[in-house]
Amino acid sequence: MMGAIFTLEMKKNLQDKGLLFWMVILPIIFTYLFIEIFTSGADDIAKLEVITSIVPGYIVMFVFFIMISMVTSFIKDRDSGMTARIASAPIKPKFYLLGKWLPYILIVCVQIFILFSFGKVVYDINLEQPILLTSLSIFLAYMVTGFGLFLALSVKTENMGIALTQVIALGGALISGLWVPIDMMPNMLQKTAEFLPQYWAHQALQDTMHGTLAYKDFFTASGVLFAYGTSGFLLAVIRYRSFLKVARS
Amino acid sequence: MVLHINQVKKEYGNKEALKSVSLVIPKGACYGLVGPNGAGKSTLLKIIASIILDYEGKVRLINLSNQSLKQQIGYVPQEICLEQNLSAISNLYFFGKLYDLKGKELKSRAMEVLKEIGLIDRAKDKVKQFSGGMKRRLNIGCALMHRPNILIMDEPTVGIDPQSRRYIFEMIKQLQQQGCTIIYATHYMEEVEQLCDEVAFIDHGEIIEQGRVEALLQRYATPSVFVKGMKELPEQLITLGDITRHKDGYLITTNQLIAVMETILQHYQEESDKLLRLEIVRPRLEDVFITLTGSELRDGQRGHV
Repeated sequence: MMGAIFTLEMKKNLQDKGLLFWMVILPIIFTYLFIEIFTSGADDIAKLEVITSIVPGYIVMFVFFIMISMVTSFIKDRDSGMTARIASAPIKPKFYLLGKWLPYILIVCVQIFILFSFGKVVYDINLEQPILLTSLSIFLAYMVTGFGLFLALSVKTENMGIALTQVIALGGALISGLWVPIDMMPNMLQKTAEFLPQYWAHQALQDTMHGTLAYKDFFTASGVLFAYGTSGFLLAVIRYRSFLKVARS
Repeated sequence: MVLHINQVKKEYGNKEALKSVSLVIPKGACYGLVGPNGAGKSTLLKIIASIILDYEGKVRLINLSNQSLKQQIGYVPQEICLEQNLSAISNLYFFGKLYDLKGKELKSRAMEVLKEIGLIDRAKDKVKQFSGGMKRRLNIGCALMHRPNILIMDEPTVGIDPQSRRYIFEMIKQLQQQGCTIIYATHYMEEVEQLCDEVAFIDHGEIIEQGRVEALLQRYATPSVFVKGMKELPEQLITLGDITRHKDGYLITTNQLIAVMETILQHYQEESDKLLRLEIVRPRLEDVFITLTGSELRDGQRGHV
């Protein structure tokens, strides 16, 4: 039963050409432009430093835009009567949510793979610890989509979802040092960043690229991402009843 | 198998959407649920379909099957809940899988349903290319995939052409012949008269009347006699019924049909060529509905129900 929801959600996303733009084309354009701006006139060492910060930084920022697709999908289902109709079938809410959630984890994993591949092909970035980097990417996808799931079941309108996604993605990027190196930011913001998953993901991804990520730090970063993702899922399960109450039928 | 709805209550905040609703729906019946906007029909249907779970009272299915209530119910919502970018058959597969149909069984059942809903030639076409009537039929088909014992239909003929409506009526009659119990919510009284054995009128969250359609017509609706071609009616008729000017004739609402007709015929025995038309007008369920619920507009009195 969960498989049916998964397959349907996957099909819908594969037909969505907008997703390709938001998730792949736009991040590539931004990454390219900002690298060009920040590396002009820099020497090779500084250039490598900037690229190693910008590529994972923009990946972490742009994965959050999947939340727009998640919000749109849930709100559309809610308002078209599909949510209520599925609720009349013998499928438990947690499996319904899992079926809707898993395709997005997969999509974000593919997005991260494409964006790192872009970095490797165009800028020859270092990927010294590929296994840890892959694992972190999966945790990152899990975290952002888990959070997206909660957001999708909490917002009343699509516009509200899009606005909140931008606040979370752009605000989080600013505070977590995805745009500017974290050590150049004020102390208070550096402390605040430690509460945000973007910070942990960015730092850990950078370290895997350099080949300096210790296992302890890997487990800490993964733990933070996992905790955020799981919290998102659990909160979404709690929100489901309220979501269903306002669903059209 | 009997569906027992026992003292079901539901509140939305301070508003009582359902106030102790009790119904018994027997196996194989086509049971009409009629009420004005905001009366509580959709809430009741959602409770029966297990979409709303937080309510007071009980909904019980008394039968010999081991299947859960959800497995035995097919729900046809008022909205067209189909994936517009997928084909008809993909939509049927999706809903079949939700009820654990797999492999060959899923495929053969989808083909059967496509035949039943008259879309076998359009199986692979995308739903967005379909007319309103075709979408409505597919909407019903999706609820039939798992061969439900009870089919809940919430205004399934809204906005469709007469041909599709007739086709849907035939489908419903066939399903009923196959033993399926149908709960049919609608605003269209003629649909209830045509399809349903029993009907419940719901208003302000309460069942205000229920019973067999014919019995309710006898109890609440008075038949009339329509007479055309007469300039003046015999005076005796005034004591026999209520007379209203109607189109190009008179409508006499009465419980004494034979007496009224005899009086008219006697009065015009010698001038029978002046009498252009004399007919009995059958009472309508709409009259019962208006008698029970009043004729005030109910638009937007309550949201959510």
